[in-house]
Amino acid sequence: MMLGNEQFLIASKRLSLVAILFAILSGCANNVTVNAEIPAPLVEKLPLTGSMIYNDEFKNYVYLEAEKSRKSLKSLDLAAAQTTLFDQVFGSLMTLVSPEVTAKDLNIEPEILDFQYSAPVETNLKQYEVWIKYRLKLSNADNQKLADWTIKGYGKTPTGLLTSASRAFNSAANVALRDVGAQLSIRFARQRTIKQLLNGDSPEPISEPEEVADKVVEEVVNGTIPAEQLVEAAEETIEETITEEAIVEETADVTEVLPTVSEKVTNED
Amino acid sequence: MKIKVIVVKLVAICACLIGMSACTTINIDQVRLKETAELSEGDAMVVLGRHQTAEIQTEGSLVSCIGGRLQRGTKNVKIIPEREFVDAFYPWFEARTAPLHPEKLRKVLDQPLIAKKIEELNIRYFVWVEGSTERTNSAGSMTCSIGPGGGGCFGFGTWEDTSDYETTIWDLETFDEVGRVSTEAVGTSYMPAFVIPIPLLAQVQGDACQGMGKQLVRFFSKQDQNSLKTISQ
Repeated sequence: MMLGNEQFLIASKRLSLVAILFAILSGCANNVTVNAEIPAPLVEKLPLTGSMIYNDEFKNYVYLEAEKSRKSLKSLDLAAAQTTLFDQVFGSLMTLVSPEVTAKDLNIEPEILDFQYSAPVETNLKQYEVWIKYRLKLSNADNQKLADWTIKGYGKTPTGLLTSASRAFNSAANVALRDVGAQLSIRFARQRTIKQLLNGDSPEPISEPEEVADKVVEEVVNGTIPAEQLVEAAEETIEETITEEAIVEETADVTEVLPTVSEKVTNED
Repeated sequence: MKIKVIVVKLVAICACLIGMSACTTINIDQVRLKETAELSEGDAMVVLGRHQTAEIQTEGSLVSCIGGRLQRGTKNVKIIPEREFVDAFYPWFEARTAPLHPEKLRKVLDQPLIAKKIEELNIRYFVWVEGSTERTNSAGSMTCSIGPGGGGCFGFGTWEDTSDYETTIWDLETFDEVGRVSTEAVGTSYMPAFVIPIPLLAQVQGDACQGMGKQLVRFFSKQDQNSLKTISQ
């Protein structure tokens, strides 16, 4: 049966549409905007008041794939989703107030440290995976740092026959964000700083490791403290951090500083 | 005349293919740790999948399928869908935070907010499903080609899928594990292609769900519990 010109055109259009649909559904490079679906945590609200501080980098965070050989994902926009997550979680954990308000217990400033993903084409597993690592800086109303808290989230989503890569990445990122939210909600009240605040104490502000090391060097050089106390001071700095990973990072910082300190001490002698 | 012969032959081939259609073998084991598993009118149950590690990824479709089977098989008992439950109790039943033992669940329920919500929903049992369906074997090959005169596929492919699931039932009244139902289903699918590929698929996961659902309904049925009592007497 011969097709007329009009019929041929209609058939061609339909075929093109099918081809486009397949192209969309296949694992081509994707620009994904994550839509957060985070329920309100079922937790008791703590008698604390705090503000969320989002810097511009955080508010506009978009992961851009720099590796040209990775074709599954071009960019992933997490900006709105992660802001929604932290607002939702901390809004349930404590009373949130505007950053301008000065009468409050806490400022919480999240920072995204790392984002990683994998697609089935790279791993030969039938799942899309997303890892996100955040650091939360907890500070008091005077903006003095009280604690650092590192949280990692992991999410995966299985491949489906008619599931596009964009949808799968969105779903995996959502699972990872939910994971972050779950850890924050459950572990927040167990943090030492938060316990102190709940007990009515004022937690001591902590310094950055470099500042502590410089101070220690100065004091050792001046002879104010004996060199033996150096290790103790470094250990105290390490104790201020919360997670195991942070401890490892901080230990590396202090280890780097130690030879410099001993050199200075030797030269002074 | 020739056309008739060809048609008859094609019909015969199709009939043979359908006759040797894919089938699934299922083994179901049940362990009852308590003599009775009472379900009263108005009680609710929740069926949840385990996803605690990258390797353990119980399919959501299977979990909702088992929930559906239980809903149809038990009268006046509400089965709460997994998504609805997990969202309502966020963050306590997420992949990495869900309790792995009844004792841990008791600790979670020690929190008044959670206990109140469980009570409101009248949840009596938790049914945890763990496992997955994997492709365990495949063989054969198929070639498809297309040209100006038309196209088609030739060849034969076969593959085997294995479902391995275990459901654990927790009683919220006693915080005990009251039973287990495990299922292993193996099915082989075929895909012969003579111009058109004819898939003869084994519904391994679906069959596993059906078997497990039926067994769970029996687990909660008074008839099954009474017959067990009679045997033990």
